[in-house]
Amino acid sequence: MSLIEESNTGSGTENPEAGRIQDTAWSLNEVWIRYGSWAVTACNLTIFFCLWEIFARSGAVNPLFLPSASDMFAALWNGLTTSAPPGAVISGSIRDHLFYSLSNLGIGLAIACVIGVPAGLLMGGNRYVETILSPYVWALASLPRIALVPLFILFLGFTVKMQITIITLSAVFPIIINSWAGVKTTEKSLLAAARVFGASRRELYTKVVLPYTLPFIIAGIQQGIGRGLIGVIIAEIFGGSRGLGYLVNRSADTFNSALMYAVLFLLVVVSLSLIQITRWLEAYVAPWRRINTL
Amino acid sequence: MNLANSKQLETAPDPAPARTAETAAPIIVSKGLTVGYKLHRERKKLTALRDITLSVNRGEFVVLVGPSGCGKTTFINAISGLVEPWEGSIEVSGKPVTGPGPDRSMVFQDYALMPWRTVESNIRMPFEFQNLGLSKQEIDDRVSNCLELVDLTGFEKSFPYELSGGMKQRVGIARALVIQPDILLADEPFAAIDAMTREAMQSELEQIVTRTGQTVVFITHSIDEAIALADRVVVISFRPGRIKEVVDINLPRPRFEYDVKMLPEYSELREHIWRLVKDEALQSARGV
Repeated sequence: MSLIEESNTGSGTENPEAGRIQDTAWSLNEVWIRYGSWAVTACNLTIFFCLWEIFARSGAVNPLFLPSASDMFAALWNGLTTSAPPGAVISGSIRDHLFYSLSNLGIGLAIACVIGVPAGLLMGGNRYVETILSPYVWALASLPRIALVPLFILFLGFTVKMQITIITLSAVFPIIINSWAGVKTTEKSLLAAARVFGASRRELYTKVVLPYTLPFIIAGIQQGIGRGLIGVIIAEIFGGSRGLGYLVNRSADTFNSALMYAVLFLLVVVSLSLIQITRWLEAYVAPWRRINTL
Repeated sequence: MNLANSKQLETAPDPAPARTAETAAPIIVSKGLTVGYKLHRERKKLTALRDITLSVNRGEFVVLVGPSGCGKTTFINAISGLVEPWEGSIEVSGKPVTGPGPDRSMVFQDYALMPWRTVESNIRMPFEFQNLGLSKQEIDDRVSNCLELVDLTGFEKSFPYELSGGMKQRVGIARALVIQPDILLADEPFAAIDAMTREAMQSELEQIVTRTGQTVVFITHSIDEAIALADRVVVISFRPGRIKEVVDINLPRPRFEYDVKMLPEYSELREHIWRLVKDEALQSARGV
């Protein structure tokens, strides 16, 4: 009943609400809870690489199989900061191949989004589209994409087009399936609420279904990045003379294990960074889901 | 305690004169209403409500009580225009219901707040979907008044997931009241809220609608909640739902203030309604 009194008295001199949300300083403990895991991870990785270095230098394994960590980092640094001289055993440095692979991944992912998001939304929104498309989506999604590589080499040759096609095909299905699932799982009560307050059919889609589905779409893109990166490497290992996949293959062929480890390490870093970016994006557009997930 | 209350009763003026004065004008008229659902997968139809004839007067607070699955929700969905009658008719302000409209709004059990919208944006939402011919200034005023009414000033920019259940439902109530509907429909709005907060919110709701004079159709499982709020309690039987009995509640308002639970009539009413509901609840629990 305090409600009524307050609304009647209107603007009182003191604002009782002012005290409800306050800024507080962080205690040391809270700082630790928030940033402690970073410190632990930093120590953890440092110890890991130190142990690796000691183990590799002890001579217990052939350096061809396991180069020392410092050699790997040297090769990585070297490859990222310099260009390979013309006529070297491996043409192009890590940097050149990285840009090539990333731009292909970017193009492939963009095409996958342009196709996948509308396809998924349509499948979720229209029963006929769903019925017609779903067997193809499930069939192609469950087919190991690597099996299609020979086919596309046959069609398109050892070209960038072939590589981008494989990347797109790898990335598009998680995007379709997630967008589709997002539309299908839109909470009934949200739709009912929007309808009660007068939303048209169009508004139900634009103002309820689409915002609800957005985090699903981003989750789909997140999976698409992982799959797309696999597509990049497969396409380049099978048929290509550029890119990180080619570089892994080529460095193994030339017994340059430091370079090979450097590329593998770089792939981990690239993959994790891209996925982390989509996580931030998801947390930004859908903060209500953050508390439900890890 | 009891004495103090009865003394208050004698001296207090009739707390809600408007409610009895306007009884002549029914705003919701349901005649032989039968509604159900199609179960696509099983090629069957499920009749949720059968032959409901009920009229609700303007400014009246009607509470529907009945076991789970008796079709209470279907009834308010029919009033709101979310479902169409199979047989019979349902009229609001003399016109058959053809779909949702700005004269009716609803409060949902699971709040149904858009999680991507702030508190303020959620309350503003009804204006985005329907043009009530209000200027931007008028809309702003209504939104801030409603925020104040439900005691959420200062939480405009919060998101629903940052609020407690009780606060979320205050947002739900504000969103329903902001369009100033003639009829407020409430589908077990306090069912998911803890007992203490629930009683406070019941009292707040009672006072708000007493002031605004809205007609309320309210669903609950709780007999106590029904008696705390209703002018009339409609007891509905288990599937398919039929009206079993309509019980008038002539207790003084505001009921929280008067502590009506201490009155002897209260326990009589409670006993009476419980007897009506008991068999139905048992049937519902068995899932017959």
